[in-house]
Amino acid sequence: MRLVIDESRCKGCNLCTLVCPYRIFKPGTTANRRGVIVPELDRPERCANCRLQHLYGRTLCGVCQMICPDQAISWEEEGACEPVKVAIEY
Amino acid sequence: MSYDEWFRDDRLPHIYCAGCGNGTVINCTLSAVDQMGWTKDETVFVSGIGCSSRAPGYIVADSLHTTHGRAIAFATGIKMANPDLRVIVFTGDGDLAAIGGNHFIHACRRNIDLTVVCMNNMIYGMTGGQGSPTTPQGALSTTTPYGSAEAAFDLCGLAAAAGANYVARYTSYHVKELIRAVRTGLETPGFSFIEALVQCPTNFGRRNKFRQVMDQIEFFKSHALLVQKADRMREEGKKIPDDMIVIGELARRNRPPLGVRK
Repeated sequence: MRLVIDESRCKGCNLCTLVCPYRIFKPGTTANRRGVIVPELDRPERCANCRLQHLYGRTLCGVCQMICPDQAISWEEEGACEPVKVAIEY
Repeated sequence: MSYDEWFRDDRLPHIYCAGCGNGTVINCTLSAVDQMGWTKDETVFVSGIGCSSRAPGYIVADSLHTTHGRAIAFATGIKMANPDLRVIVFTGDGDLAAIGGNHFIHACRRNIDLTVVCMNNMIYGMTGGQGSPTTPQGALSTTTPYGSAEAAFDLCGLAAAAGANYVARYTSYHVKELIRAVRTGLETPGFSFIEALVQCPTNFGRRNKFRQVMDQIEFFKSHALLVQKADRMREEGKKIPDDMIVIGELARRNRPPLGVRK
């Protein structure tokens, strides 16, 4: 699974940067076409839900999706991709 | 059906200001409804007037946007006409505590099988930041420029005293607990009342030293006091500071409900 922010819905309140236990969301720096400063994702492959949702068959954590007032955060299925080495912090 | 499918995609993004907590409460409520496994056809969302009451417009199920303060009165009619429907009321503090106060206490007294989710932003956000019955003492608003001199309404205490079957209070920071509380409210036969304190960055936070959205969320985080701890502090004779918000499940009882098929 892949963590995505829907730029057409995000209003740039940065609440996701407050709640993520892995600090994946970082305050953005540049405004997009609508003038909204959308948060940036810092190594989103660390997200517990991305890694383990299929294994457990349910949404794990998911606090960023729940607290996002604009329904902008979601997970989408990934296609086949080349393997990359990921360092997981505990 | 998943939680995402309850939203009307063509209506989003919604009109709430950036960082408004109402969106969070909609997420939590829909997540709880989804966990219950209810279908769109048997669920009805009712709301009155205000920022919070725009919520049913973004939900794909049947909804009713009613007159100011009368959301519970309309919901009572729906429930009594067809007790098979699941009725959820979205309401704000101005809607429920100010103009709809009497409907609220009588719904608690009758113990109708409704779930009321009150998004309490402590101000009249839509009309320009006038002081509401739940504005905390000393808070600034358009109509209280020197600080509100009146004590604020304790809606949960009112509901519990009037006889609601389930009463809980959480804030928009406590999303997991809020989902659990709404789910318990949906499961409970009889009147269940969930008060969710939400941030209003545009009209409350801006005037009350919460310049950023996160400041008010941090306030909720640091000033929330679980009801069990508050009870323990009272037993020990300690004083609970005035600015603390007591959260948690405040009442659960088993009075006979109205509007449930025998």
